[in-house]
Amino acid sequence: MNRLQREFSTLTLVTIPVAIAINIAVGTIIFNLKVPLYLDSIGTILVGALAGTWAGALTGLLSNLVWGLSRINVAYTPFAAVGAVIGLLAGVFSDLGWLRRWWKVILSGVITGLVAAVISAPIAAYVFGGVTGAGTDVVVAFFRGIGLGILPASFAQGVSSDPLDKAISFVVVWLIVRALPQRFLGRYSGSQNLA
Amino acid sequence: MSDSLSLYIDRRSGLHRLNPLTKLTVAGFCLIAGLSLPGLLSGYVLLIGVLIPLSVWGSVSRAFLGRTWKVVLPFVISVILIQGLLWRGGTPLVAIGPISFKQEGVLFAVTSVGRMLAVVGSFLLLSLSTRPDSLMIGLTQHGFSASVSYIILTTLQIVPRFQAKARQILDAQRARGLETEGNILTRLKALLPLLGPLILSSIIEVEDRAIALEARAFKRSGPKTSLQVLHDSAPQQAARRLMLIAAPLLVILRLVFEVVR
Repeated sequence: MNRLQREFSTLTLVTIPVAIAINIAVGTIIFNLKVPLYLDSIGTILVGALAGTWAGALTGLLSNLVWGLSRINVAYTPFAAVGAVIGLLAGVFSDLGWLRRWWKVILSGVITGLVAAVISAPIAAYVFGGVTGAGTDVVVAFFRGIGLGILPASFAQGVSSDPLDKAISFVVVWLIVRALPQRFLGRYSGSQNLA
Repeated sequence: MSDSLSLYIDRRSGLHRLNPLTKLTVAGFCLIAGLSLPGLLSGYVLLIGVLIPLSVWGSVSRAFLGRTWKVVLPFVISVILIQGLLWRGGTPLVAIGPISFKQEGVLFAVTSVGRMLAVVGSFLLLSLSTRPDSLMIGLTQHGFSASVSYIILTTLQIVPRFQAKARQILDAQRARGLETEGNILTRLKALLPLLGPLILSSIIEVEDRAIALEARAFKRSGPKTSLQVLHDSAPQQAARRLMLIAAPLLVILRLVFEVVR
């Protein structure tokens, strides 16, 4: 047990696949419900909060790549960079101590969502012609209908759905962390940020 | 392997016998080519000229075509409707009552679909013809991080188990009276009693996994003997090097082309 506590990297290593599985499971449920949300980064944010920026970034990156290699939704791969940034920001906010109070948690989510929107809009616009086949396409249609160009419409869709989506995801992670036993949490390097 | 998340189909074909790294390089090259070649039809040319013949060689053409179609269809419908009908200030092509399909929008939609076919097709071909563990072993032997390949392989194995556990929890909660049919709001409210136990129990499991990994000397440094032997050949190595050089060149050429225009 002592050795396990020193070898944080092994614990982080095994947490990442579980986190990616959470991303895919929750993301798929929401995708099938066709609501204008993603909720596909809960695992990424969790790893970023518990194990630091680089672990979070790796989780986000691999999450999109594995999702692309899987039989569920092959179209997620190009957004790998966005996933990495989300994980990175989760780690940053954790280190800043922002994940202790619920209102700062929401704020972290909103900021992360805005950054994610900025990065994903060019990808959606260029690779996918502005649409992704998800429930959020309704929002893109709205913005195109009022006369916005392709990139501005993707960006407007991102800015209107991502901050809400990430705020909800951050709050879910905050709730998960509060529900986990301290004995377990204490093994992670980021646990002092979340107490 | 049958219940894992990968798309791999086992066949005795030339494509399957290729070194996994070669197939990865081909997929990456087709991806970059599909995105950087100019012209309306470049994505389709790539699909018909390269990807489909390769899938025939690999005896996976039916699965390839079926899956590509299934994945791309919602996107096709979305993009033709949204970009075709709502393109601002375009020249009308076909009128349906008060609204009409604009020419620019339709052309853009056609190009986007072509690009998407190239992107989706290349990865699909890779997944159908390559065992995930072979790919990971190949990458690790060339210096790829063993930890990252562990993560990818484990995730592929866990996700189906996750979904089975989710169904189990859903049944258990339903037996306790959880309402899961009905409008969106009811279904969303049913999510929390489902996700809570699922996520928390999976995370606690993590501790056992860490101990198991330690017990198998995963962190021991130095090369490890693999049960699988990967075959490689000089032509494949040459082809890989060629594609690795050609891909960035394509991107640069396209950027220059755009600037000059």
